[in-house]
Amino acid sequence: MVYLQKALARNPRVDFLVELVQMVSGLLLVVFLWTHMLFVAAIWLGVGAFNALAHFMDQYRLLPATVVFLVLVFCAHIGAVIRRVPRQWQEQKIVWRHAKLIRHADTWSWLFQAVTGAAILALAIVHMAVVSYAGINAGLSSMRVHDGFLAFYAALLLLSEYHASVGLYRVFVKWGWVRRSSLKRVLGAISVLTVAIGAITLGIFYSLGAQA
Amino acid sequence: MARELTFRIFRFNPDQPDVKPRLQDYRLTEEPGMTLFVVLNKLREEQDPSLRFDFVCRAAICGSCGMLVNGRPTLACKTLTKDLPAVTTLMPLPVFKLLGDLSVDTGVWFREMSLRTEAWIHTDQVFDPNAEEERMDNAVALQIYEAERCIECGCCIGGCATANIKPEFIGAAGVNRVARFMLDPRDKRSDAEYFEVVGTEEGVFGCVGLMACDDNCPVGIPLRDQLAYVRRKMAAAGWKLRRRAPAARA
Repeated sequence: MVYLQKALARNPRVDFLVELVQMVSGLLLVVFLWTHMLFVAAIWLGVGAFNALAHFMDQYRLLPATVVFLVLVFCAHIGAVIRRVPRQWQEQKIVWRHAKLIRHADTWSWLFQAVTGAAILALAIVHMAVVSYAGINAGLSSMRVHDGFLAFYAALLLLSEYHASVGLYRVFVKWGWVRRSSLKRVLGAISVLTVAIGAITLGIFYSLGAQA
Repeated sequence: MARELTFRIFRFNPDQPDVKPRLQDYRLTEEPGMTLFVVLNKLREEQDPSLRFDFVCRAAICGSCGMLVNGRPTLACKTLTKDLPAVTTLMPLPVFKLLGDLSVDTGVWFREMSLRTEAWIHTDQVFDPNAEEERMDNAVALQIYEAERCIECGCCIGGCATANIKPEFIGAAGVNRVARFMLDPRDKRSDAEYFEVVGTEEGVFGCVGLMACDDNCPVGIPLRDQLAYVRRKMAAAGWKLRRRAPAARA
């Protein structure tokens, strides 16, 4: 069916391109998330290793570069996914009622995707502002984690790992190739692993903060 | 010992909008080999002649009896009561026009989808009634048959969150239909022409991958594979469109 607005807005590729932006930005964010996880886990090797890595990133301006990268990719991802979030109250009511009605796990996980995405956005803005303002070193991090920010970081860790895992699952489901059941198993295992790495890292920072 | 089963059935008559939609309980004794087809007909015959539901073939061929059985979109005729708990809720399929109680009109939706996906062989070859029928490779024929098995029951559409909020979305049934014609060597449509039909938010790129269709197809069509096949094909077509864009615009 074609009507005026559709005829005027005719760029047949636009839906495909937005879909592509959503996927590519999402994948980049996952790569970032896991790299971030490994870099922060440098604290496992000790305060010296962590500070050396932080210093290296500072020296080559990798920190501001990362912030710019993140802002761009975040904006692209949000811009692309926002079209999928049921916006109107009417639509919201329908999707929640529908998920309850058909009792389908993958439908629920999609609703959580929107909720966790919004929460991650709020938390990540705070996190990036704090880190950009204060800089990175083990002393500051351990102080933050010990003095009140532990719940904040634990929430950010769980939310982002969940969101990344479900997002990756959807990408593979949509494009095919891998069996859904094996996909769930592998991604589940990766999520448990990354959350465990993050939790141990937080634990180390907390104990360092307690010693200080 | 035969179980006493309770069926909590959605009641609503659109011709009597003053009477609010409600769930009504019916009770009956389970029998060996009982299906929901038997249950509903027994209830209508013995307890409530006003109960509305659809059945034709009672053998999972006609696709008339799609409904939500404890929330799950499936065919009532294929559902055995021995697989159900003591209390079962029956609701009509969402998305489709509600005719009353469990009865919905899937026909209008599927006709509209067939028109929008142009679900017929596009060819400029003139039909010669005297010529021998063209032969088709068996492997291709089997692939086409896989998609053709769709009985248009609408379970994939009723279960789809996107179809529930976007009436224009053609859903898994629509994409599966397009896949069938893409595979058919007699259909002369180019990928760019298919892109016009399904390369949009109303087509395959509107799918968010919730896979309620794949999980609930009563005849077991691999809908996820069909969706992914069309998506990959349309992505390739969309990618190539770029180079020809200036010419196409002229």
